[in-house]
This record gives sequence, structure tokens and C-alpha cells, in this order.
Amino acid sequence: MNRLLKWLLPLVGTLAFGAPAFGALSVFACEPEWGALVNEIAGDRASVFVATTAMQNPHLVQARPSLIAHARLADLIIYSGAELEVGYLPVILQQSGNDKIQVGKPGNLDASKYVPLIEVPAVLDRSLGDVHPQGNPHIHYDPRNMIRVGEELKKRLAVIDPAGAPEYEARYNAFRDRMSVAIKQWEQEAAPLKGVAVIENHKEVSYLFHWLGMPVVGALEPKPGVEPTAAHLVELVENQKVHPAKLIVPTSNRDPKPSEWLSEQIKIPVAPVPLTIGGSPGAKDLFSLYDDAIKTLLAGLNS
Amino acid sequence: MFRPSAVAIAMTLALLAPLAARAQSKSELDDIRKQIRELKDDYERRIQALEKQLKNAEDAAAAAQGSAAKAEAAAQAARTEAEAVPPRQSAPNAFNPALSLILNGTYGNFSADPEQYTITGFQPPGATSPGVRGFSLGESELFVTANVDHLFMGAMNLALESDNTVSVEEAYFQTLALGHGLTLKGGRFFSSIGYQNSIHAHAWDFVDTSLVQRAFLGNNYGDDGIQLNWVAPLPVFVEVGGALGAGTTLVGNFVEGQPAPNPRNKNGAGAGSAWLHVGDDVGVSNSYRVGVSYLNQGTGGNVFPLDLDTVGGVASTFTNAQVQLYGADLVWKWAPNGNYQYQNLKLVAEWFQIRRTGDLTLDPTGAATTGGFKQRQSGWYVQGAYQFDPYWRLGLRYDELQQGTMDGGINAANIIPVDYTPRRYSAMIDWNPSEFSRIRFQYNQDLSQQNLTDRQFFVQYIFSLGTHGAHKF
Repeated sequence: MNRLLKWLLPLVGTLAFGAPAFGALSVFACEPEWGALVNEIAGDRASVFVATTAMQNPHLVQARPSLIAHARLADLIIYSGAELEVGYLPVILQQSGNDKIQVGKPGNLDASKYVPLIEVPAVLDRSLGDVHPQGNPHIHYDPRNMIRVGEELKKRLAVIDPAGAPEYEARYNAFRDRMSVAIKQWEQEAAPLKGVAVIENHKEVSYLFHWLGMPVVGALEPKPGVEPTAAHLVELVENQKVHPAKLIVPTSNRDPKPSEWLSEQIKIPVAPVPLTIGGSPGAKDLFSLYDDAIKTLLAGLNS
Repeated sequence: MFRPSAVAIAMTLALLAPLAARAQSKSELDDIRKQIRELKDDYERRIQALEKQLKNAEDAAAAAQGSAAKAEAAAQAARTEAEAVPPRQSAPNAFNPALSLILNGTYGNFSADPEQYTITGFQPPGATSPGVRGFSLGESELFVTANVDHLFMGAMNLALESDNTVSVEEAYFQTLALGHGLTLKGGRFFSSIGYQNSIHAHAWDFVDTSLVQRAFLGNNYGDDGIQLNWVAPLPVFVEVGGALGAGTTLVGNFVEGQPAPNPRNKNGAGAGSAWLHVGDDVGVSNSYRVGVSYLNQGTGGNVFPLDLDTVGGVASTFTNAQVQLYGADLVWKWAPNGNYQYQNLKLVAEWFQIRRTGDLTLDPTGAATTGGFKQRQSGWYVQGAYQFDPYWRLGLRYDELQQGTMDGGINAANIIPVDYTPRRYSAMIDWNPSEFSRIRFQYNQDLSQQNLTDRQFFVQYIFSLGTHGAHKF
């Protein structure tokens, strides 16, 4: 019955009103954090479809038919950008037949354009791994970026849905204030983490480390996008003598085995953080995401 | 530090011992005891002082190390802040299109002569080819694509063949701004019929294409024309499309390894096609797309050979015909939690039926007879590629072609029906150290030809340079 309704309702809606029978706005978010941001700013004025989960490698997403269907319905698409979605998003945009979300339209929000990017490579060569020319695209782990992107999102929503502009403005202001207070709190809580050297998995948590002042002294991946190898893990064991790390921080979408092995060898704890919302039982929205990550790191440090 | 002090005490005590032995009176003994105590206290004070000095020095060293680390962290923060400034490109080539080059080569080992390859009942010897013996450069592909403006995007794909010829595989524009789920494409492009047909060779899961694709469509059936596609406004993927084309080659017929030319010299379209695709996710781990498609072409007065067995081995030609192709396809992908990094499975199955209706001429030395002719042939395959490790995939494929039905009309008596089902079994394993490289090993047991088992072994490399391409589902 539900499946039938899933088909029939929009069909009837389309025929009757020429628009899908969902919320006033239909938003396509490539990653869960952007879906959560839309929920913060747009509330009930938008229904959000999220293309990926915290358990997936965001670089290896397939151009699934369901993504084309939802992109077809979308009034706005929001994504990390900096080529994170380069493997599927161009196909989705082209096949959707939806002019509202094409590059250059208000309905196409590339979040990376509104935040300062870190780790911009000086040299572009694929022998260095799957490097992103514009910089590290995993911008979501710095909560200050959520305020920056939220501000742009508020403006875009107001252009697409002028009737909701006052509401977007009010919700954005409230979000910004709550987030600013939370950021101050997190910075205090995370004070003991400052200067704590870590070993990461992929560069998916770089923005968090950058924000909290935690130096990264090694990565499980020998090169971005290249799986950990035995030889490289042995190098990390050696490196621990020269540049000692205090924590290994993998993400929810990665194989836990290399970090567990390394943890046993160099006797430092593993503190696995959610890649994004949904990557741990605690990470339910933007606020609990950073909360969960910082608590996990602190717990790791004190263990 | 402590150790020398302890030695000093011990030595002092040792020196004092004979002194004590010589002392007789109680007062003397008390004096000596007092002196010893004083000495001991003195040394202990000095030891404590030295220990304190040592601790201070250690603290200072630690503090220095700490501030060095702080300085380094500050420097790194400064560096990252500096990096944070987005690069401003003012180069005149900033608008250059995205370029991507595919390098591809194979080593092939065939137990039967590939130049004499036939698919019994479907393609005569030499019409199509399963590959080349020994080392050979495959097709190098050059892709160029960019947005033309706010309304159109453009793309071209050149195939640089190993025999030093260049062919324009695709060169098309596509609309960006029609909206309402509509996309119009024009130029030369691979037809959207079936599943595998529109996939470029470098993205195939096997070295070679399926037998049914080889027998009916070749590596990729493309045409010059226009195509309109509509995605329905539904939360489930439903896509309907159609294309009109020149029909420059005839499906199901090949000559010397190439699709048989079908020139028309007439206004209007020489080929029409249509398709319907439906797809969705099943949970978070599974996704699928199913499709049906149709293609219709006319030969006009052009004459084509058919691979018919005739009495006396006389030649057969086919003209004034309609050739229709019906297809059904399924692609199913699975990855645990939808995470394609560590494990995933891709299953593809396709079925095609070709229906020929036209005039058949048999020419036994000067006594040509022409009559109505109808034929239905079909074929299918199922293949799976399982990525069991981030770098390795294992693939299996089964191909089969069916002779179907034939109505030879007045020539029926002179046609000997073929009773053979061409088949092929394939297994491949490939290593993908990154998204840009692939080394593949494949074995085929090819039973395309009656009374012949061709054992084929391939080693192939596929490298991708330049822009990171996006692939369709």
C-alpha cells in the first residue's frame, strides 16, 4: 500500500498541480550534513532527500537511478563540491533534465565555494593519489563552515521561495546563534585536545583537526584514495618513534582493521569518529555530530 | 648524579671506620658520631640540591620542547590559513574543456584463427572479430567535454584506432535548460537501447562485449540524429526516450569487422528507436535499473548478405527490408551499506531479438529467385562482476544466441536451417590499484562456431589520464 502511495501521490499531485505533492520545496543533499543544514534553515518548508550515508565512501557513489529521479524533482541541490562528487554528480545533473539545479543556477549550491579550503595541493599529479585540485572537500567537519554555508543557503532559499524568506532569515539567525554558542563550548571542552597529535585514515576529518589545533602526524592511507598497505603501516610504526601520535582517528565508513592493528603495535587508543551524521548512534544532527566527535576524542585521550 | 654522592658517603664512612675503631672514650665516640651525622647531613643536603637542579633543568627542557611544538602548530595554522585563500586563476586556458585520454592495449591468445571467426548462423567469417593474436594496441579514446553556455553542453569522443585511423565515436550537444525532465541531444552518439550499448569500451566489465551485442550491434551502435529523453516527476526513476537517426549502418550486419553501411540519400530519418527505463534503490545496499527498448531501420534498395546455409552454397542477399530490434535489460548493483569501496557486486543481464522482414534473393548461377523472407533471431547474456577487495574484481559471464525462426518463402527449399546454439563462457579477474588504472586477465571458452572450441586468453591494460570521468549507473 505504501509503495503504491509512493507512486500515486506524486503522480496525482503532478497532474493536479503541475508540481510534486511534497513540501513546498524539494531539496537534494549529496551528503547527510547538508541535509541536516537544510532542515535547520528551512524547517518544514523543505523536504530533503539525502543521496549518501555516513557508512559510504563519498568518492565512490554510483549514479543510481534513484538519484536521477530525486534530482529531477529537486528545487535545490546542495553538495560539498571541490570534486568530491565528481564521479556521479555530473551524470545526475545531465540526466535529470532539471534546469533548476544546473551549475550556475540558484538551485545549485556548491558549499566548497563559500568556505576557506585547506590542504590545497601545490602540485597536481595523480602519482600523489586522488588529490582534489581545489583543496580538501570534506569541509563539513569544521562547524564554523556550517554558519558560512548556512548563510548562503538562506539566501538561495529566499531566491527560490521568496514567500519563505522571513522564515529562512529567522531560522538562519537562530541557527547561527546556537551554533556560535555551541562552538565556544566545544572549543572549551576540546582545550585538552589542542596539540594532541593524531593519525587519521583518509583526510575526511582534517577540518576538525584544523579547527581544534590537532596536528596530524600520519595517515593510514599511504596516499589519498589508496588503501592502507602492510608496508605503509610498518612505516607508521617507525614514524611513531620520531613523531609520536596519541590517537588513531578513523571514520565510520572505513575498514576498522588497519587502525586496530596499528593501535596494538604502537599502544595508542583508536577513537573512531562518525564520518558525518548517522555515522554513530550519537550523531543525529549537526550539533550532536561535533559533540559526539569531540567527546570521542576526549574519551580516547583519557583512556 | 645520585650515584657519585652515594659512593662519596660510602667512602667517607669507610675512611672514618678505622678512626672509630681507634677511639676509646665515650665522648670521643659521641664526637665521631656527631661528625659522621654532620657529614651525612651535609651530603644529603648537597644531593638534594643537585637533584633539584637536575629537575629544574629537565623542566626547562620540557618547556622548550613544548613551546617548539606550539610554534610548529602556530606555523602550521598560519600555513593552512594561507592555503585557505582560494586560488584565483586568470589563465586564458581556464575555460578549456575537460579532457580525458584512455590508453588501452591487449595481449590475445586464440586457439582458433580470429581472422576466420564466425558466429554460426549469425555472422559470416571475417564479418566481426573477437580480437587480435599477440600484442595489440586497443582503441585509445579521447574525451573532450564542457558546457557550451547556460543552455547547452557539448562532448566529443574520438577513437584512435591501432591501425592509425581516427573515428568520431560520439560528438554531440545536449540541452541543460529545457527543464520538466526533458533533455534533447543531437549529433552523433551511442544509442540508448539496451544497457551495454552506450558504455564505452574502457568501462566494460570484460575485455570484449557480449556475443549478442557483437552479433547485432557491434561494440557500440551509434548513429547521427537527435534524441529526446524525459524523466517522470516521480520518486522512482522512470525514464522514457526516443531517437531519430540517419540509420547509417544496419544492425545485425557486419562487413570486414565494421558495421555494414546502409546509405539512404533521402530526406527524413532512416532509423527510429525508443526505450523505457525504471529503477530504484532496494534498501540502502541494493539498486537496480530495468529497461525495454526498440529500434527500427529500413534497408531501402541496399543489398546485404545474410549468413544462410544454402543448397549448393549459393550466395544470398537481402533487400527492401525492415529490421527491428527488441531488447530487455537489467542491471543490479549491491554493496554492503551502499559503500562501494570494499565489496560490491554488479549483475547485468540483457536479451535482444532481431526481426528481419524483406526480400531474399538466392542466385544459383543465373537463375535468381526473389521472395519474401522473415527471420527472428535472439540472444542473451548474464554477467556478474564481484569486487571482493578494494583492488580486485572477479567476473563471470555466460552468452547464448538462438537461431529462432525463419520463413524462407519460395526460397525455403534451398535454405538449410542451422541447428546450432552459439555459446561462450568467460571468466575474468582485474586489478584496480586506483580509479584510473586497471589490469585485466580473461579467459573465454568461445563456442560461437559450430564444431569448434576457441580458447581465448587476454591480458589487458586500461589507463585513464586527465579529468576524473563520471560514469552512468
